[in-house]
Amino acid sequence: MSVINHAAKVINFKVVYYGPGLAGKTANLQHVHRCLPDGNKGNMTSLATGDDRTLFFDFLPVSALTVRGFATKFQLYTVPGQIQYNMTRKLVLRGVDGIVFVADSQWDRLRENVESFRNLEENLREYKYDPGELPVVLQYNKRDMSKVAPLGYLDFLLNRSGKRVPSFEAVAISGTGVFETLNTIARMVLVSEFGQEQGGVS
Amino acid sequence: MVIDEGDAERIDWVLSSFLGESGAAEVLLIDRSGQLLAKGGLSGSLDTVSISALAAGAFASTGAMAGLLGEPEFTVLFHQGVKESLHVSTVDDHTIFMAIFDEGTTVGMVRLFAREAGRLIAEILDETRRRPERTRHSIDPLTADEAIPAFMEQPT
Repeated sequence: MSVINHAAKVINFKVVYYGPGLAGKTANLQHVHRCLPDGNKGNMTSLATGDDRTLFFDFLPVSALTVRGFATKFQLYTVPGQIQYNMTRKLVLRGVDGIVFVADSQWDRLRENVESFRNLEENLREYKYDPGELPVVLQYNKRDMSKVAPLGYLDFLLNRSGKRVPSFEAVAISGTGVFETLNTIARMVLVSEFGQEQGGVS
Repeated sequence: MVIDEGDAERIDWVLSSFLGESGAAEVLLIDRSGQLLAKGGLSGSLDTVSISALAAGAFASTGAMAGLLGEPEFTVLFHQGVKESLHVSTVDDHTIFMAIFDEGTTVGMVRLFAREAGRLIAEILDETRRRPERTRHSIDPLTADEAIPAFMEQPT
């Protein structure tokens, strides 16, 4: 849920990186944190297990451009990917304004991607969100691995609703595709909130 | 949710009164999705954005535990430190109220005045939520330039 504060001249949005375990959600936030200038980012917080698996969430606040005199701030969260942590995932989704679904492109992980995407849709419905209306970007990660599914097949599995959503190839660990994904979801969230003049870029 | 200047002023007044009466050092008003709505207190060094996200997560987590016990909710969360302690309480279904205090006051004082402050803030936020969202009507649709991607990667 966006929070617009006229006194502080700030608009806050919440973006959640969702996807199966070990797909690279935390790697996305780590790259953003590494590469944004200090003035545009806050501290990154990771609630992780001893072996660096996300236990609750990662959190990174970032700030972007000023729109009509309002500073726009995005709070980036990840969720734990493992199946057993669904209650935690649901808690993190509360008040979300946009979703980045990070899929693992490897053939042997396709089932986990589909299950995680279905789980996302179920959890959104529990919060009365319409998954077709919420801004969503797909990121096909780990494109540098040897046994990856072709993009068309990943689209067939994950990008098959009536309104197709933007998708990006990525190697999050080295940063490829990370900012394209973030910039696109940020733009979609802004346009979803305020609308866009006819004839602009879509 | 749209907080206008009048709402912010009234909320700031409640937070300032709470700080004066309870003796707490800092106070944060936090949306349950993790977003900071308002704050009061003297310290500028606290990472209020991160602490808001963590507090909302902790409160949501205890809420889920309450559900497992058959309770509708735990309305208060208290963390006691060596020097500083945290007291988090519910305001309404969307908002929580966090006080940070030291040995200059007691958890009883904080709890007493947090309850009253929470009630006043709940009334303000109820009015805020009932009002039509001003910004949606006063901000025209974005131009193509304004909807351009926002984050620039820096060389590592």
